[in-house]
Amino acid sequence: MRLELADYPVTTIRLGRNFSYQSEVLEIDAAALSDMVLRDGRIREASFSVVRPGDKVRITGIRDVVEPRVKVSGNGQVFPGILAPVESVGDGRTNRLSGMAVIATAEYHGTIRAGLGVERSALLDMWGTGAAASKFSGLVHLVLVMRLREGLSELDAHTAIQLAELQVARRLAETTVGIEPACVEVFDLSARRPDLPNVILIQGCLTDDHHVHSGVSYYGLSIRESLATVVHPNELLDGAMAVNTTRGIGYSPIVYDWQNHPLALGLCRDHGKRFNFLGIILQRIRYETFHGKEVIAHNAAQLATTLGAEGALITWLGSGNAFVDVMLTLRACEQRGIESVLVTYEYGGKDGVDSPLLFYVEEANAVVSTGTRDRWLELPEAERIVGPYEQIQILSYPGAPIANCKEKLTLDAHDMVIGGVDNWGQESWICSAY
Amino acid sequence: MSKELEKAGLTVAIVSAMFPVAEQVRAHRIVKGVSIPHPCGDPSLSPELDARLRREIVQTALKALETEVKEPTVFSPNMP
Repeated sequence: MRLELADYPVTTIRLGRNFSYQSEVLEIDAAALSDMVLRDGRIREASFSVVRPGDKVRITGIRDVVEPRVKVSGNGQVFPGILAPVESVGDGRTNRLSGMAVIATAEYHGTIRAGLGVERSALLDMWGTGAAASKFSGLVHLVLVMRLREGLSELDAHTAIQLAELQVARRLAETTVGIEPACVEVFDLSARRPDLPNVILIQGCLTDDHHVHSGVSYYGLSIRESLATVVHPNELLDGAMAVNTTRGIGYSPIVYDWQNHPLALGLCRDHGKRFNFLGIILQRIRYETFHGKEVIAHNAAQLATTLGAEGALITWLGSGNAFVDVMLTLRACEQRGIESVLVTYEYGGKDGVDSPLLFYVEEANAVVSTGTRDRWLELPEAERIVGPYEQIQILSYPGAPIANCKEKLTLDAHDMVIGGVDNWGQESWICSAY
Repeated sequence: MSKELEKAGLTVAIVSAMFPVAEQVRAHRIVKGVSIPHPCGDPSLSPELDARLRREIVQTALKALETEVKEPTVFSPNMP
């Protein structure tokens, strides 16, 4: 499997009357895009805004973020199982508009009022302290602002939001077809050097199997209670992984994160130089019995052994008891002689003095922290709101007080900022005290 | 919570599906529970079997309360 990722950097997005890409300027016909989105009767309003790094803009109601891509050769199309039929992807050439993203925002009340299935949306500040908390503040964004029809179920709302954002993103990427890219990066793991160690990436995924969308999908299919499986990193680059778009939360990776998985990309780039990258073990976590957690840990480690792994990078997405599955996986790998490194965010509490992790095993002797998700965040007053919400609840419990989005906000954790938690170590952090 | 209760002088048996986590925070008397959403029973069983299981878990917890322990100790109910 060999994928060429052709890069078309974007520094300016212009709302105009045509679709074109030239010299890092993307011109789009916003009216045509709105018409396309509004073909779905579940969406009653759709509009577009452009925001740039440094703008004193607060984006509200964020459900997902996607980088525009389109396949120009090879099998299938981006987002198989969602935008296109289920066909194996990861081969041929894919064009990407880099330096920008489409942010899907939507007003949606939800039918579920409490618990893990309740709708959530996140914020993004393009300047100041909020910008410093999220990598997404460094990109130029086309913000899609949607209002959904009243009374939609969670699955209907998700499908409407997801189809809209992915169709818009693909339409933007189509402007690059036939144009020479700025550069092309090749992703090909087929040749291995016998003198280098074999390394695997184990990606734990918390999924809620009892919800209509479990939280993470592979080729459009929600991952529920399943055993671990192997996926090729090139599949991620072509949009094989997607998320539940009714729940935009800082600690849940979104589509952009899956398209640009920093650990997968880093391992691909060093393949054949420092080690052989064997691929990704996709592992469902958050089993509800300890027995389940033990079995999935064994299963992932056994798979890694079978593939010939000598080293494993272990990371996860989620929160709470799913971390027990992650630690047991690390132990199971170490017990099989696979040197394992864990990449995780920390809790630590508001002041950084609480327990940073829920659960430990002795074998976890190499852990990379990507920072905390628990600290307070003070956001200054914004000049402009882009998004469907002028007012929001900062806390997610039913009846929580309402705040004006434009005003100074105090967030009690980074969860409300999209990209506010660095799940997979995309960013550079410094530890100021330890 | 179990540690705070013990500080206040109450003997505690904690029923938890995540018993290794309870061990890690050094709770004294830990009873293996069934599952995170339902530690004290199993709704997938028939009502009769579930009732028997629930009684077994409670009796194990009572036995744990009566037992002298010096360090985190796990008590296992007989589960079907």
